[in-house]
This record gives sequence, structure tokens and C-alpha cells, in this order.
Amino acid sequence: MVMKKLFDRNSFVHSGLDAKQKKQSLCVMAALSVFFVLSAFTFMNFLYCLSDCIGSIVCASPDISLRDAQRSAPIFLSFFMTLSGLMVAHTFYRNESEDVLRKKAKKHAIIGIVIGAIIIVYVIAMRIAGKYLSLVEGAPSAIYPLDSILYSLLFIAFGIFVLTYFKKAAGDAKYAGPSRPRLQKKGAFVRYIFRTLWLMFGLYGFCGFFYSIFIVDFTNGYVPYAIAIMLVSLVAFLSIAVWELLYNNLTPDVRKEITLPLSIVSLVVSVVSCAVYFLALKGNLDGPANVGFGILPIAYSASVNFATFLVVATPLIVSVTALIKGLCRRKKTAAK
Amino acid sequence: MKKKLICIILAAVMLVASAGCAKTQKSSDHLQDYVFTVRYHDGFNILQLTDLHWNVNSSTRSSEAYLDKLFKEADDHVKATQGASAKIDLVELTGDMFMLANSYHLSTFIEYFERKAEEYGFVYAPIWGNHDRHALYNPKELASRFGSAPHCLYTEIKDDLYGRSNYVINLTEDGTKNTAAVWMIANLDSGAGFSETEYSPFIDYDYIRPEQTDWFLSEHALAGENVPVIAYYHIPQDENEKAWTAVSGGADLKNKFFKLEGFADNGEERFASDFIDRAKDHNLKAAFMGHAHNVDWTCEYEGVVIGLGVKTGTELYFAHIHADTEDEAMKAGLASTGITEDFDLIGASLVTLTGSDGSFDLEHLYFNERESGDFSVWVKW
Repeated sequence: MVMKKLFDRNSFVHSGLDAKQKKQSLCVMAALSVFFVLSAFTFMNFLYCLSDCIGSIVCASPDISLRDAQRSAPIFLSFFMTLSGLMVAHTFYRNESEDVLRKKAKKHAIIGIVIGAIIIVYVIAMRIAGKYLSLVEGAPSAIYPLDSILYSLLFIAFGIFVLTYFKKAAGDAKYAGPSRPRLQKKGAFVRYIFRTLWLMFGLYGFCGFFYSIFIVDFTNGYVPYAIAIMLVSLVAFLSIAVWELLYNNLTPDVRKEITLPLSIVSLVVSVVSCAVYFLALKGNLDGPANVGFGILPIAYSASVNFATFLVVATPLIVSVTALIKGLCRRKKTAAK
Repeated sequence: MKKKLICIILAAVMLVASAGCAKTQKSSDHLQDYVFTVRYHDGFNILQLTDLHWNVNSSTRSSEAYLDKLFKEADDHVKATQGASAKIDLVELTGDMFMLANSYHLSTFIEYFERKAEEYGFVYAPIWGNHDRHALYNPKELASRFGSAPHCLYTEIKDDLYGRSNYVINLTEDGTKNTAAVWMIANLDSGAGFSETEYSPFIDYDYIRPEQTDWFLSEHALAGENVPVIAYYHIPQDENEKAWTAVSGGADLKNKFFKLEGFADNGEERFASDFIDRAKDHNLKAAFMGHAHNVDWTCEYEGVVIGLGVKTGTELYFAHIHADTEDEAMKAGLASTGITEDFDLIGASLVTLTGSDGSFDLEHLYFNERESGDFSVWVKW
């Protein structure tokens, strides 16, 4: 019954929209997906560079860490610039109110433009100072740091497009996609922290799954372990995607009804993926490090497998939180 | 629709499962598959480069510029000390060539070494380090790229041995398998890391496993029991620490160079490797490794010269040596080398095979790029 309702088009907030609104809604979803993927890739680059810098500090070479951080500053900044794009798309996705949309989207677009400009100025200054021997220094790509300049220009153009859109649209036809309830102000800081962490694990899980298709050597044994780690990465990503996109796309009434059953399904999937992971881990004590788990840069730089455990635990934490939320809501409804 | 979906999922699962089902070769039945041959001559020069650590933060331009100068320095040195016809014959890359690197680094690295091999007339032999597996390329890609590079000696066989690649280079009179080996160079994969228990979040450093020692002894028996051997691998084994403990306790063992941090070995007795213990009775003359960047300490322990190579290049971390230091370990290193000025502990190590009787020379090169003129000091063992 619940599942039937879930897939009933009237359960979604964009049900009943006209053709133009639906088109806009689809465009926003597409933009959100593109920015998510870009954020995931730049996040992994960010983690890789950070791992190397941390590695140098841990090994008592802060001077090398600083040199590398200077060299890779555009990579670090690119991640935050991409996040600004993701936030713009997400603001349109939520469309809490006309006012909030304009204010937040403009803010994020300006952040993107500023970071983009900083990257360009930084690279030029470093080139002049001789820190980059050329504009195609090499590493992590053949045309780095030129590629970071081109990427920044793309984001500056996007930011200008968003700002122009609001200028042009002032008083005229505005974005009219589906609107979702405003985020609660109660406990806003805690929510902000958790949502940020949630996003990070979603990005990490996405990359963990996607990258491992290409970088794990399945021919060198340890196939069950490789599949298990891909599974937990995928579940970490999906648990974020389902709760943030599917769940938040439902009408408030349906959301109230579905929280508990969805959290139970989510919990079962999380427990199963965890069990598969631990079963696969058993008996693979000297394997994983040999087949290429570069998807876990922090883990192996620190010689501690904690990143894996965080990815494994994320869906569980998310599901249990949702379960508690669902139980509380049911209790409240029953009390009424 | 459901049936189609189930079929697709089943096909994908079978494809992945079959990927790991290629036939595993029994190493003891195919000993010849692990053997490369190179022509031997007295004055055969082996340049050891270790822990280059090309990573996402590396500038390939700067790294190549450093290596260009290093190769020129080594080539000039062997020509000056051994005659105009002398050259670097073999470059041993003893692990951690990469860390958190991607396919671009891999391609650039191999293209660079191919160019240099052509220029200086050497062949090069890569050995896996723990960090070479932690990257954005598939380890299989690294194996296949090295395996197909014209000047690279490398093989990776799906076998019953631990590690991704173990192989030997027999130095023979005519450079083929038709003549007897005069020297043997054994390249072993000392692994990456492993967990002691199923759910331990900690990863221990790996060690050379008994089956690798068995395989080495078989290869050595095949080449000839009297053939002297030098072994190269990445992670130091327990003998380094034993030698250090002995020297620290006052034992009169020949030792030299710097030890400014631990060996970063496994460190647990129950995981101690039997490699040197057993190989030393089979003409093992020396074992050289990398891994701990702030150490190039070398010691003659139970008849085997055991030492870490000098870290190559400026990636990740390395020690800054101060001539006016108060640090006892640094003072001891400085005293052993006779260097009286500040420098960074980076460069290379050179082994020259001086005769078929197992004699060889060892030198450490400390090479730093400086705007006021590069720092270059060779220190004999």
C-alpha cells in the first residue's frame, strides 16, 4: 500500500504542475545531478591532495606540506567552487520561497565567482613568482594548472548566468518549479553540520563506487572484498540520494506517512550491506591493500582503515536517525 | 522486464566473478618464467632510486628536472671513476614510485624512464612499494605498462607467490640464458599492508613471506649455488632493526650513513621474515630497500650488507641535515660521512659489481638542487 502510494505521481511535490514548470523542474534535477558528480570528482581530488599534505606533516616535513598545498591550492579551491554550483542547483531544487531562492542562489553564485577569480589570479601570480614552472606544469593532469583556470572560467560564466537570470526575471516570469517546505530553524546549526557531513559521505560513497569500477584489480583475487566495498560505497551514496532527493520530493502528508516504513527498509538494506562487508573482510586480511584501494586515500595514508568504517557506518546512522524520527512522528500523530 | 533485469544482473555478477578465476601458476614448476638476463661485465653499475613518490601534488616538470640532473651526475661520476666506457647498466626502482597518483603520472613516469634508458643505455627494474597500490590507476595498468615498456625488466605472473611481482635478473656472460649466471639480482615484492585481525581498523606493514623465500632459494639453486646475490625490495625486514639494536648495544659491526627515524617495518616478532635468515646461507651478499625516507643507514650484519637506499627526489618527506646539529643521530650520520655542511637527505645509491666472487662497491649520492650551484657528494661505504 505504502509502496503503491510512493510511486503514485500525486505523491510528489511536482505533481499537477504545468508543462513549463515540469520542464524547469527536470532541468533543475539534471543540473543537481551534474553538479553532484562534479563535486564528487573534485572532492576526491581534494582528498588526495589533502592526504599527501597531511602525510608530509605527519612525517615531520611541514615545509613540504606547505609547498604541496601552495601547488595544489587551485585543486582545493575548485572543490569549494564546485560546491557553490551544487548549492545553487540545490537552492532551485528546494525552492523554499521566491525570496529565499533569490537570496541564497545569488549568494552561492557570487561565492562561485569569487573563488573562480581567486583561482585565476592565484595561478597567474604563482606563474609570475616562478612557483609554477609553466602553465602546464603537469600533475594531476597534463595541463594543470591551466585546466583549473578553464574550469574557473566555466564557473564564473555560470555564476554570471545565475545573477543575470535574477536580474532579467525580476518582476517577470520567475522560476516556477515545485516548492518544498522551508527548512526548520530549530536546531539549524546541528542540522547544518549533519547535512554537510551527510553530503560529504554521499560524495565519498559515489566516488568510492564509481572509481573502484576502474581502479580495483578484480583479477588479483579478493573479488568478494572488492564487491563488498563497492556495495557499501553505493549504499552510502544511495541512502543520501534517497533521503535527500526522493524523500524530500514527496508531499508533506506522504512524507509523514512514509518516514517509518522507508527508514525500516533503509535500515534493512544498511544492515545487509554491513553484514556483507564484514563477511567479505573476514579471510581477506592480507589482500585489500594489494589490489588498489586508492578510493580510500585518507585510510591508507594514515595506515588506519577508519574511512572504510565511516562509509560502512553512514547508511546505518542515516537509517537509525530516520527510524527515530519516524517513531517520534507516529507517537505525535497517535497522541493527537 | 523483470527477467531481463535479472539476466543483466546475473551476467554482471558472473563477469566480475570470472575475472578472478584465471588459472594460478605454481611458481616452483615455472622457475624460468621469473628470470630476466642481462650481460655481465666487471664494473656493472646498479643505480638505486627509491621512494620517488610522484603524487597528485607533484610537479612532473620539477621532478623530471631533478632526475635529469641526478642521472647526469651519476653518469659523469661512473665515467670519471671507472673510465669513459663505464655507464649505468641497471636502475633499480625500489618501490613507492607513486603515491595517490593517477594514470597521467604513470604514463609520464614510464615515458620519462624510457627516454633516459635510451639516452644512457640502461635497463630499469621496478619493484612494488606499499604506496604504489594506493592510486587512481588500476594496479593492473601499472603492471601492464611496465611489462610492455621496451627498456623495463618486469613481469607479473598470476601465481601462488605472495605479492604482485617477484622476479630475478641473472647477469650472465653473454646476456642470455645460454651462459651461466655470474651474479643474481633478486627483486621481491615486500607487499603493502595487512590487518592482524578481521575487524582491526589498523593496517600493519607487510613483510616477505616464507613462500617467497622458498621461491628465491629455488631460483638461486637453478642459477647455481655459488652465484652471489643482491636482493632489492621496498619494506625493511626485521634484520635492519636487529642490526641497529646490536650496534646500539656496542657490537662492533661495520655501519655507516644516517638513521634519523625508525625503519617502519612490521616490528612484530611473529611477523618477522625468514628471507635474510635463510638467504644468507645461499650467497646473499647484500639486501637494499627503501621505505623510511630519513634513513639510509647501512650495516654489515651476519655477513650480509643490509641498507636503505637514499630517498630520491623531494616528494612527500625527507630529512634536512644540519651541520651544527645537537641531534645525536644526525651527528653520528655526519661523522660517518664526513660532510660538514647543511644538505637534504635525498639522492641515490650506486652499487658497482667488481668481480664474480661477490665483491662490490657501494656509494651513496646526496644530491640537492640549489640556485647557487647544485650540492653533490658521493660517500663510499
